[in-house]
Order: sequence, then C-alpha cells, then structure tokens
Amino acid sequence: MKWLHNILEVFREELHNSIFDEGVIVFFFVVPLLYPLLYAYLYGHETVREVPTVVVDLANSTTSREFLRKVDATADVEIVGHCADMQEAKDLIHRRKAHCLIYIPVEFDYALMEGRQAVVELYSDMGSMLYYKAVLASCTEVSLAMNQDIKTQRLVGATEKQASTFAYPIKYEYVPMFNTQSGFATFLIPAVLVMVIQQTMVLGIGMMAGEETEKKRRGILEPHVIGKKPIEMLFGKSAAYLAIYAVISAYVFCLVPRWFHLAQIGHWTDLVAFLFPYLLACLFFSMTLSGIAHNREVFIIIFVFVSVPLLFISGISWPTCSVPEFWKVVSWLFPSTFGINGYVKINSMGAVLRDVKPELIGLWIQTIVYGITAWLLYYRSYGKHLKDIIEVAEERLQARWADYL
Amino acid sequence: MNSETTEKKGVWRVVQREVARMLSQPVYVFCMVVAPLIGFLFFTTLMGKGLPMDIPVGVVDEDNTSITRQVLRNLDAFQQTAIVKQYANFGEAREAMQQGKIYAFYYIPEGTTELALSSKQPTVSFYTNAAYLIPASLEYRDMKTMAELASGAIARETLYAKGYADSQVMGILQPIKMEMHAISNPGLNYSQYLSNILLPAMLMLLIFQVTIYSIHSEVKEGTSKHWLELADNNIYKALAGKLLPQLLVWMVMGATYLVLLYAYWDFPLKSGLWPMALASLLLIVVSQAFGVFLCEALPSLRWALSIATLWGVLSFPISGFSFPQIAFPAPLKALSYLFPLRHYYLIYVDQALNGLPLHYSWVNYAALLVFLALPLLFPNRLKKCLLEYQYTR
Repeated sequence: MKWLHNILEVFREELHNSIFDEGVIVFFFVVPLLYPLLYAYLYGHETVREVPTVVVDLANSTTSREFLRKVDATADVEIVGHCADMQEAKDLIHRRKAHCLIYIPVEFDYALMEGRQAVVELYSDMGSMLYYKAVLASCTEVSLAMNQDIKTQRLVGATEKQASTFAYPIKYEYVPMFNTQSGFATFLIPAVLVMVIQQTMVLGIGMMAGEETEKKRRGILEPHVIGKKPIEMLFGKSAAYLAIYAVISAYVFCLVPRWFHLAQIGHWTDLVAFLFPYLLACLFFSMTLSGIAHNREVFIIIFVFVSVPLLFISGISWPTCSVPEFWKVVSWLFPSTFGINGYVKINSMGAVLRDVKPELIGLWIQTIVYGITAWLLYYRSYGKHLKDIIEVAEERLQARWADYL
Repeated sequence: MNSETTEKKGVWRVVQREVARMLSQPVYVFCMVVAPLIGFLFFTTLMGKGLPMDIPVGVVDEDNTSITRQVLRNLDAFQQTAIVKQYANFGEAREAMQQGKIYAFYYIPEGTTELALSSKQPTVSFYTNAAYLIPASLEYRDMKTMAELASGAIARETLYAKGYADSQVMGILQPIKMEMHAISNPGLNYSQYLSNILLPAMLMLLIFQVTIYSIHSEVKEGTSKHWLELADNNIYKALAGKLLPQLLVWMVMGATYLVLLYAYWDFPLKSGLWPMALASLLLIVVSQAFGVFLCEALPSLRWALSIATLWGVLSFPISGFSFPQIAFPAPLKALSYLFPLRHYYLIYVDQALNGLPLHYSWVNYAALLVFLALPLLFPNRLKKCLLEYQYTR
C-alpha cells in the first residue's frame, strides 16, 4: 500500500499548497466565485427594455398618434421625445439621448385615407443590434394589430376574421425554445460558467507548475516530491485539483444558476455524468500545458487572451456550422468546446446523455490523450530528471560542507 | 561596480536594453506579435462574410401535400437557412435540436392545407433554438420574410383578379408597413458589429499584461536596480525607456487592425481615418498607463497581473458593445465608465459608425486622457518597489 500512501501524501500537500498560495487562490477560488456572479448580475435584465426612442411625427393625425401611443406602451420601446424634424431627432441620437428614431411622413395619413400603403420609417443606431431588434419588433407588433382593423374596414363586408384570413391564409407562429424571452443571460452565462472552469484551472495549475520549475532551477525541491513515482505524482495532484473543482463546480453549476433564476432543466445525473469527464479533460489539459510554464506568471499573459476566441470558436454565439473547418479542428483541442455545447444542451435544452454523445466522446478522448501527455510530462520532470536535480543538489551540499569544513 | 559607473546612461540606453530584453525572451515576441496576429487572423477568418450562411433547419410536415411542399421549397431558397432534414414528428425534431443537428424547425400540422383551402387560417409554427441566440434571431428574420411573401402571394393574386389596382393591393394587405433603416450596417453584418471592438480589446488585454510583466519581472529577476541606474535613478526616464520600444510594436499592431477593419473588410469609417487612429493610439497608450498604474498600486507581479486580467476580461462585456449598457444594473452602468474600452466603444459609434463631428465625442477622448494620467499618482511607490522589493515566491 506504499503507493496509496504516496498518493495521499501528494494529495494532501498539493491541496495545502493550492489553498495557501495567494496567487493560486485568485484563480482557483476568487475568479470562479466572483466572475459568474458579475456576469449574471450584468446580464440580469436578459434583454434591453425601454430603448429610448425619438419620434418625428409629420402626419400628426389620430392614427399616427395612436400608433405611437401603442408603441410607447410596449415593453421594449420608450418614446423620450417628439421632434419637429429629422435634424433635431438625429441630433438627439448623436448626443446619445436616444438610440432609435420613428419617422412618420406627411403622406402617412393621405395614404391611409386613399387606401394605399402607408410607410413608417424606423432608424436605429447600430451601436448595438439589440436596439434594432427592440424597435423593429415593437413597431411591427403594433402595426400588425392596427392593420387588422384597417383591413376589416377596407374589405367591404368582411368580418375581422375573414380579413385576417384573406391577408394571411396561413398564420405563422414563432416559438423561441429553451430561451423564451431570447435573453442574453440565458444564452451567454452557461457558456461563461463552463469557460471559467477551464480557464481558471489552466491558470492555477500553470502557476503552481511554474513555481515548481522556478524552485527547481534554484535547486529547491518540495519534500513531498522526493521518492514518488511520476504516476503517483500525477494521481495525487489530480485528486487534489479534482477535489477543489468538485466544490467549485457545485457552486458554479448549481448555485449560480439557481440564484439568478437561469434555466436548469437538465437531469442532475446527466449533468454529473457529463461534467465529470469535462473536469478530467480540463485537468489533464491544464497539466499538459503546464509543461511550458517556466515561471509562475508566464501563463497568465499567454493564456488569458485566448478566452474570447475560445468562446467564439465553441459555437455558442457564432454557429458551429459556419465556423471554418480549420478553426473547427483547432476548437477540438480545447475541452471548453465540447464542455460548453454539452452543458448548454443538457442544462438549458433538457437533453439527455445520449443526445450529447459526440461531446461526451470528445471529452473522453481528450481525457485519455491529455492524460497520457500529462503522464509523459510528469515522467520527464519527476522521473530521471528529478534524480539529476537531487544529485546536483547533493553535490552542491557536499561542496558547501567541504567549504565549510 | 566600476564597469557600471562608467556605463553610458539615459533614456536611450534604457531603450537599447529593453529592445535586447524583448528579443531575448520568447514571451515578448509571442505576446506582442504572434498572439495579436493570431487573434486578428482568427476573427477575420472566423466570420467570413459577416453572416452565417445555410444554418441547418429541419421540417416536420405532417400534412405533406403539394402545397406544403411548395411552401418548404420557398423556404429553402433563403440564403441563411438550409433545410437539411424532414422529421416524422415533433418529438424527433425536438430531439435533433437538442442534439444540435438543427437550429430550428418548421412544424406543419396535419390538415393545414385543408384548413387553408377552406379559409380557416391554419397555423404553421416555427421553433428556433434560442439558446443559440445569433442563429435563432437570423432564422427568425428569414421566417418572417418568408411568411410575408408566401401569404402575400396568394392574396395578391386574388385581389388583382377582383380588379384592384396595384397601389390598392398593398394598401389592403398591409395598410401600415415598417421600413427599417439600420444606420451604417444595413446588412446587419455581425463581423462588423463584433470585430470593431473585439480586436482592439484583445490588444488592450495583451498590453496590460506585457507592460506589467516587463516592469515587475525586473524585480523578480533582480535586475530592477540596474534598470533604474541606467535611467539616472529617474523613474520617469526608466519607464519612458522601457515603454517606448514596446509602444512602437503596439502601434504597428494597432495599425494592423485598423487596416484589417477599415481597408480589408471595408467596414464603415464615416469620420475618415484620423479620429479612429487617434482613438486606437489613445487606447494603446492608456493600456500601457493602466499597466504602469497597477504596478505602482500592487508591488507584486502576480497580483498586478491578476487584477489586470480581471479588469481586462471584464472590459469586454462592460464596454456595452454586445449587450447595451442601458440595460445594465445602475451600479455597473456607472462602473462601466472606469473602463477605457467603454470610451473607445463610444468613440467608435460616434466616429466610425455615425460620422459625427469630433466635438460630440470630446468627453470620451478626454476620459482616455484622464486614464493616461493614472501613472502620475504614485510613481515613487514603484521606484521604491524597484529598489527594495524582494520577490519572495
């Protein structure tokens, strides 16, 4: 049972190191605890409501005023000003007092009276796509309702139902599934949660590995490293990081969504069965990468900037079907790609384990491949290499003794 | 010691020393040249034409008549959607959606044709997977257009047959029509919408970190005293000598993304090049200044880097370029102005997108200048740190 004892010792020491190193604490604890809260708080309103909008109503008739009143009453648009002309209205947009503009030309009323089509022009500041969506959806919704009444008047002798059927023999209904209000938080937060796990693990483990390398260079060895086989080091360390991330994951994937009322429709057994290989893949991925950490901090500067491209490459915002082949293949190198898609499917879309089979297979392959590379790496740094370091250290010590004597 | 006292000193000497450092450590080459270029290349190649094409969509046609098949053929003609598969029932289609094989599906219930022919207005439903927001909203648009066209076509024919004039027909079918103008982005190009901020933001993040690393790693390596001595023990000279050669590289990177955005992609640049060039230059210098400020405030490499990371990554959402700032909770709304990227974004909207006269954006240019003054707060703390701090870890 020597090996078990060894593993446990490494586990204990490594746990101790992670919990008492303030640099590592930041990545293992502070970021995973804080970031999800910040993001959930930031996107808490899900979508933009009451987009400030200005109006140029040149028609100024009963119908146009009715239209505007109804638009103002929608949740997404708030009319903040009436302007005499376009110049004045645009100026308000330029001074950021408003983001959209509704323009009702003089012809509006004439057209309606003569039975022609009346046009309302909408302008949106394209600083955000959501302004555009808000004003277009609200105005379209109001116009459809008003059209109904007008149509009934125009088709002489028709009932409201007949008029509606006439214009739309088939009704089209739009149903956004899994995110009923097309909200930002519901769409983005799950991906951020998954990403936070991978990124903090890479940074934290990279930092610890960097520290060890630094110390080795100065001829310092952690006592618990001596006398352990590389495989024992690998298992001991993995167990320590897994223990930490089991707790972090419970917080990130269970508590955060609950606190912020995000969708959680997956079954917990599916979630656990999926997140376990995700954690393993992240773990060995981090350990493999940590091989290039020649000092404590280098990882932060190399790896942080990757977060944003990784989020995009995962397919959560830019659809996977439109990601070029090359980047698709690159994305398979990172556990986050499979992690995000699988988690979103299970958690937000209620998929069961067999629905996420490709992701699951991807994660297990990564676990195996990165597990092997991590082991090879540990073999290099804790195997023969370590003996060399110990020998050098001993020689130095003896030399010092000799000097001293 | 003798060799050091006779050594040439001054800013120029620090510059030379810094260039040598940058060339000798691969981490500099990687973070200053390779990483930004990879990032730029990534976003330029990822989004291709700026809109996803042929998003896979499914169909459940329980009616399966010549009319429903005709409707589906019309749908397939749209550029952004591609009907990839027919499913036997609703459950199968939903499952395919959960597996990520399709992003949306049409559901045509049994009897649709019959109801339509007897003028009972049946409903065809369109289900999208809104957990993937961008494809869902694009498909929504395609579906809307299709519904308008398909419905309009039949009704139009009937009205013409009844002898209505052209101008009257549309007046009956759609008495009030919305005409949308997306100022400066009529095609709703997503790449334009995202890349304009993502590219500078990535550069900003890297500048934060390289600046901090280049200053604090001197302490760690024990070379900071030598660095200060070369600068006549003047912290301003020392910083100037260190940051100038870096600034040059960053400026080349900044110019690269400007060329990519406004020449290669040809995104709107209504204000002409200079207001945006100025904004980019300011963002670069401000990022350096912010890095220096963090080094002064936090006399430890790991802490300064950690805080810079948090601040830098938070810059992306809080600048408001994807989720608008007006929808933030009030405290974050206020906080957002403490992020240089927020000001860069506002300048971009005013200048590149809307082409306003410069004075509309003066507050934001001024705000960036205020950030620039941050390192002047406590330079002596940094000097002390360079002279005395012992790296313990």
